[in-house]
Amino acid sequence: MTRKSDYVTVGKDTQRKDGVAKVTGSEKFASDLSLPGMLHMRLLKSSFPHAKVLKVHTREAEKLGAYTLTPEEVPDIKYCPRLVSTPEATYKDWRILAKKPLYVGEPIAAVAADTEEEAQLAVEALKVDYEQLPAYFDAEESRKPGATQLHDAIELKGTIINPERNIACTLDLQEGDTDAAWKECDEVVERTYRTNRRYHLQLETKSVLVKPEIDGGISVWSTTQSIHNTRLLLHEIFGLPMGKIRVYKTPLGSSFGSSIQVNTIVPIAVAMALKTRKPVKLTMTREEDIRDHVSYNMIFKVKLGAKKDGTLVVGHLDAVLDLGSHQIQAYALLGCMAGWWVSLYRLKAKSYKSVAVYTNKTPSCAFRGYGNPQVSWMVETIMDELAEKIGIDPLDFRLKNYIGEGEIFWGQGPTVKSVIRSSGVEEILKRGAKIVDWYNRPRAGNQTGRYRKGLGMGRGFHTSSAGAPVPGTVVDFSGAIIKLNEDGTVDYITALMDHGGGTLEAHAKIIAEELCLPLDNVNVISADTSTTVYDVCTHASRGIYSGGGAALKVAKQVKEKLRTFAARMLDAEASALSFRVDNDRKQGVIYAEGIKGREVTFKEIAYNARHKNWGTIAAVDSYRQPACPPHFTGYFIEVTVDTWTGKVKLDSVVAGADIGTVINPKLAAGQVHGGLAQGWSMAVMEDMSYDAKTGDLINNGNLTDYKIPYPRDMPDLEDFEVFFVETVEPTGPFGAKGIGEGALNPVAGTVANAIQNALDIRFYELPLSKERILRAIMEKEGQ
Amino acid sequence: MKITINVNGKQQRFDVEPNTLLLNLIRDEMSLTGTKYGCGIGECGACTVLLDGDAVLACMMLAVDADGHRVDTVEGLSDGNKLHPIQQAYLDEGAVQCGFCTPGFIMSTKALLDKNPNPNEAEIREYLNGNICRCTGYVNIVKAVQCAAVKMKE
Repeated sequence: MTRKSDYVTVGKDTQRKDGVAKVTGSEKFASDLSLPGMLHMRLLKSSFPHAKVLKVHTREAEKLGAYTLTPEEVPDIKYCPRLVSTPEATYKDWRILAKKPLYVGEPIAAVAADTEEEAQLAVEALKVDYEQLPAYFDAEESRKPGATQLHDAIELKGTIINPERNIACTLDLQEGDTDAAWKECDEVVERTYRTNRRYHLQLETKSVLVKPEIDGGISVWSTTQSIHNTRLLLHEIFGLPMGKIRVYKTPLGSSFGSSIQVNTIVPIAVAMALKTRKPVKLTMTREEDIRDHVSYNMIFKVKLGAKKDGTLVVGHLDAVLDLGSHQIQAYALLGCMAGWWVSLYRLKAKSYKSVAVYTNKTPSCAFRGYGNPQVSWMVETIMDELAEKIGIDPLDFRLKNYIGEGEIFWGQGPTVKSVIRSSGVEEILKRGAKIVDWYNRPRAGNQTGRYRKGLGMGRGFHTSSAGAPVPGTVVDFSGAIIKLNEDGTVDYITALMDHGGGTLEAHAKIIAEELCLPLDNVNVISADTSTTVYDVCTHASRGIYSGGGAALKVAKQVKEKLRTFAARMLDAEASALSFRVDNDRKQGVIYAEGIKGREVTFKEIAYNARHKNWGTIAAVDSYRQPACPPHFTGYFIEVTVDTWTGKVKLDSVVAGADIGTVINPKLAAGQVHGGLAQGWSMAVMEDMSYDAKTGDLINNGNLTDYKIPYPRDMPDLEDFEVFFVETVEPTGPFGAKGIGEGALNPVAGTVANAIQNALDIRFYELPLSKERILRAIMEKEGQ
Repeated sequence: MKITINVNGKQQRFDVEPNTLLLNLIRDEMSLTGTKYGCGIGECGACTVLLDGDAVLACMMLAVDADGHRVDTVEGLSDGNKLHPIQQAYLDEGAVQCGFCTPGFIMSTKALLDKNPNPNEAEIREYLNGNICRCTGYVNIVKAVQCAAVKMKE
């Protein structure tokens, strides 16, 4: 393999191709789009967390000149908005407009009018007769015997299931002889952990624009991480032929997992467009968006055992998932949680029991890390506690037990496993420890006084894609089209969405590197479902690894065609020809080494091919990655706790990452910066609490009462160091792996360990809010 | 109500309702969609524009209050095909990810650097503290402001 330093384009910082549009305000997000004659939509949402809709009165709204859409007018089918899993793992319990809403904010009816204001007046004129039903806001309450069943019947691969006791799905796993293994342990720690519920707070609220076409089809521009899955679902619901559904790639105003599923508003807008035969637009207000999606809430009952010499032996995890009112991917998550739980450290025996439970809250969905930030918070804090109990340094404990190169990696659970081929774990830990002077950190419990400092560390990882040697229950493949233009540039056409991390920039670099083209000669073309081949979704940190893998595969095919045409033109042996970038001529060049004059530019090849009727050089193909290699991260975080107020200040951060070959250095570091901010926020700030009487959010949907970090809350530039270790992933494009989720996953655990180091107090519930910390200090030390 | 606003250097006349928000006037009537709706209650800064050079939140202001004033949006910043040094600095430093908050940040940066051409890091963070970014952790944004300050002196 070529050494990293020899790469021409990979690993270089360049100006992102979509950058000019983004800094000049000309980038059009879904909410920025409009069409002539377009109607504006508003939604009528349930005021109650659980109710039966007896009647929707539309007459007053219609008197105002608005169109209305009621539950009786939409296709009466159950669907699942996420199409990443295979049918045997896809539970369907959604309806386009609810007849029996299960959370405050669930859409019941819709209106459309010429202006947003008229639509708002019309939606206020709708009246609903409800019959209120009992509601549950706690998974333990919801699954108690005798609790009212929230869903009567849900569907799994065409079969009706009755979710008794509000249990949506379960998954149990066992490996090794756990009974024998527990007997080998000298020390065991057993704890219960509870996570917070976090709102994605993607800056753009979800939006959709639908245009009915003259042929009976529709065009759709929506906030989505997958245009093809959007088309598949609309086909499934409305029965339109797929050739008549065009879903256009639309830039994402970030998402963080909240648009893996087809958004709730999309089928509603399509139904309205089909009814009115006019273009319709629906943009959620922030107050609506905040009630639309949230991270999963989890309870972990966990037990971990080790020998005196610091060898981990066995673990058991009992996980309860509060999924809210509808399934998006709860079953897949139960599998992934098992993977997150056993992937960091070697356990010769392990057992896992998990259950996902319905409650009358906002439906939960993936949020950057898909449960991994929650599970890793638990794993990394219980590892610290067990290390303390054994009397071994927590960092040494990790070095002794981590799963590394050559070992089986569970990845996303039972069906998405592979062997680790690249690991920078040891280097991350040792280099980070040296920078922060780890072994001289404060001793927990030694400090007194108002302000106390603590240094903590934590590890993390995430799978790069959901690839694996065998298919499993998760769809994961990408596709690409590359064609040579007559000026020697290439058009790259992919369905893969870029969240903003620079994924498509990385693809362009992969193509440029492979074809020996100047980066400017790779055109990234925005396209739609009719002009791209399938890509599953941009999630699971798969954009560079899987999508880039497809781009590389197709670039290699184009390269062979270029070679064949060049050989004809140069009267040379094709296999003997070489490629190089010619930056002066701004061309890729193919040449016979050492023979003067025997060279030809891509432009000359394309020009010649056109005039001699050889045709266009182009290739299209799909690619499935055979593995899901982990990218590894490690954080060292220093905090100061104010024991009078409970406030924790983030003093400094050292973050190391093994992401294989780094393709976009500044943007990759940007992933770590953003991961730290989100992880910090998860650790100390965020939670979505419900009012048990009304079933609504206590923050009332206001961002004012849902705080995330502002610029002043983050450490100074000199106090935040990011480093990448040198590894090469043999299965990755030019050795690359992912980064998006691993950047966040260890943060909450690291922060919790730092706070423990400062206060000698362990916390088992997130967030580590001022109130919670202050209460714990008062309990430990008195007033 | 008839109002006149100088939009990005050009006088324009509008007929608005008394309750029309400046944000809606900018996005719907002027078709300048670079100014974003993020929260509608002045929390996120995505709708930041300049009113006579001062950073203001367009979602918190009535269009009629801009009557007779100058409003600058992100679309007016670049000079033809050449990016403004602030825009260039945001790209050079990798400060743009999804890009939805970027116009608001750029306009806040413009207001800051016009008033204080040499801000230190604490001053940058203080000034940008009304803008939310969920992608970058603000690191490369702070670097971009520092870089822009240098570029603007060149």
